[in-house]
Amino acid sequence: MTDQFDAIVIGSGVSGGWAAKELTEKGLKVLMLDRGVMVEHGADYDYDGRPAYEIPARDRMPEPLVKSDYFIATHGYVSPSTQKFYNNDRLNPYAYDEGEKFYWIRPGAVGGKSLIWGRWSFRWSPEDFEANKRENVGIDWPIRYDDIAPWYDYVENYIGVSGSRENLPQLPDSAFQPPIQMNVAEKWVKERLEATSPGRKLINTRLSNMTEDKEDQGRSKCQFRNQCGRGCSFGAYFSTQAVTLPAARATGRLTLRSDAVVSNLEYDPKTKKVTGVRVVDTKTKQAEVIPARLVFLCASAMASTQILMNSRIPGTAKSHFDASGTLGRYVMDHIFRVGISGDIAGMTDYIEYGRRPGGVYVPRFRNVGGEEGVGFKRGYGYQGSARRDPLPPQGFGASMKHGMRGYGPWKFGMGAFGECLPYEDNRVSLHADKVDRFGIPLMRFDVTFRDNEIRMMDDARSEGEAMLRRAGLTNVTSGRSEHVPGDAIHEMGGARMGADPRRSVLNKWSQAHDAANLFVTDGAQMASISCVNPSLTFMALTARAADYAVKQLKAGAI
Amino acid sequence: MIIDRRDALAGMAAMFGASLFAPIARAAATQVTPISAGPPSSPVFTPPQRALMTALSERVMPTTDTPGAIAAGVPEYIEKLLADWASPDDRKPILAGLDAIEARSRADYKVAADKATPAQQDALLTLAMEDRLPGGADFFDKFRQLVLTGYFTSEVGITQEREYLPVPGRYDGAYPYSEIKKVFSS
Repeated sequence: MTDQFDAIVIGSGVSGGWAAKELTEKGLKVLMLDRGVMVEHGADYDYDGRPAYEIPARDRMPEPLVKSDYFIATHGYVSPSTQKFYNNDRLNPYAYDEGEKFYWIRPGAVGGKSLIWGRWSFRWSPEDFEANKRENVGIDWPIRYDDIAPWYDYVENYIGVSGSRENLPQLPDSAFQPPIQMNVAEKWVKERLEATSPGRKLINTRLSNMTEDKEDQGRSKCQFRNQCGRGCSFGAYFSTQAVTLPAARATGRLTLRSDAVVSNLEYDPKTKKVTGVRVVDTKTKQAEVIPARLVFLCASAMASTQILMNSRIPGTAKSHFDASGTLGRYVMDHIFRVGISGDIAGMTDYIEYGRRPGGVYVPRFRNVGGEEGVGFKRGYGYQGSARRDPLPPQGFGASMKHGMRGYGPWKFGMGAFGECLPYEDNRVSLHADKVDRFGIPLMRFDVTFRDNEIRMMDDARSEGEAMLRRAGLTNVTSGRSEHVPGDAIHEMGGARMGADPRRSVLNKWSQAHDAANLFVTDGAQMASISCVNPSLTFMALTARAADYAVKQLKAGAI
Repeated sequence: MIIDRRDALAGMAAMFGASLFAPIARAAATQVTPISAGPPSSPVFTPPQRALMTALSERVMPTTDTPGAIAAGVPEYIEKLLADWASPDDRKPILAGLDAIEARSRADYKVAADKATPAQQDALLTLAMEDRLPGGADFFDKFRQLVLTGYFTSEVGITQEREYLPVPGRYDGAYPYSEIKKVFSS
């Protein structure tokens, strides 16, 4: 039993899948655990390719079911065709206090968020890794862009990322496949926005939906169904199921166990190593400790932090991995829910053929290369698209019916995603009394956005309106709704990396300061969060950590 | 669905009206609740109400050069939705509106509304639309939404009234509307 596995990977999402692929390909026997249900590529995508009339409740989540079981998942847009991939909020709850609302939007299946993600894929910039130090915010990243750049190349070439080369310092180019095209109205907006707002850009989205086949992986390019969330049998976008799981399985060295929730890690303070992983079978509630020489903790930023916090020194509430006192702190999420829209005149002879995933992107333009005195630190970008909606109904009867056979004007809309700073007292902890059905203390969230984030969204709203007006759009309006941490589903931090073990949980290799054989390679490790989507960075850091871990293992250092 | 979340307009949607966060201690049942399928678990309409709802759905979305609401199964969809997929309160304005139309039909035409002529039913619907019946406009807006949703998520609506591309295979962001003269289903 002791030698059954060389490594245990906890979690099978974006990071866990990459850890399993890399570790097995480097010769290790790996056990990958996921608390969710099994979902096999293709075979278990129950509603892939099905129109609404073949999906329960026409693919609209029944309101009573949302209220009883999916009251958090609904913020991630769970629907009957994607329900299996989402957490059941009634069965797997968490806690927060009045006024400290947090949406912990979680997956509930093998593949994790790789099945439900938005697929926007960006590199972080040199600035993203340097700003903490320059501004004396949080802790300095122990790595720089150059440390991760080759690993971006590595993962991008494998997964396939579509996008356009732009040579922007604040948004480095990936190793791209050709971009998904803009529509005629977006090209119109791009030309005018860039002419009337010098220095600002509107570019093709960068997406893990491929525009070229990867025959060696049995994956096809995007078919423009835009039903990605149901699972894609074409394997056209990155998911564990389509990309990393087949690679890991092909080695013959992977064991995948679903329905297995990890409560904590067993630890030997003498050797300063993790000795095992305590697992509870979610169906039988049987617990066991599986021994481990090497552990990759990839359960998601918050769940990994929860597992670390619940790995306690006997007789105390203190984690083995919290000598620094920073575990559970500096939790962040992108702030969003500011939207701007406007009408575009003309081009009414044209519509869109095919249902395109993604859209267009306006990269960060605030504080690029230094503070500009705009009243806040860091910056934001906008994700958007132009489209024509079917004409709305007028009256009823044959005239209404036939009147709905055309399209309304082109409309452009975009929403801002802003960087949240790391704050020591934005923290998660284990609930003192409440436990879940497996006896694991509930996560408790004390996370709020602060002045810097709110001022940033004020600016995103006014600048967005001004940009679209200058570009010549009409009826420009904006809206804003409650900013709830977690809502962007880009929650990060909780076990940050840093050079100083007294001020951080992990070192520059995503390796625990307090356990040489423990690596945490998901969003928990982030010391700041950029303003762009993080999954590509999770992949690159995971591949980098796996490379290091196996070298250390072979050198006898672990 | 995922991209919808990213859509700029989401920033404006009133998504956070009522607090949805349920008490965390409610974890009584340990099974995931399945989505109800099959016929309605209990009837929503009396037989006369059902007959009127069916007739009015067809007046809202009639058979023309493509099938109408009845052929698309819209009445069955509406009753199933109100029985099992919506909140109990959602049926109230629909039932109240049907009853108001029924009463007006008997007053004006001395006939049950489901037996009224199509022209009379159109007149009754117009009264509702113009809010000249008790709860009329509220009923009309909600009932029309139900009909349109049921219709455009049905096989008839998706594949006949509109054009469905199961696997488009390509994207053209400047496709001439004149090539199709219809709306593509989502």
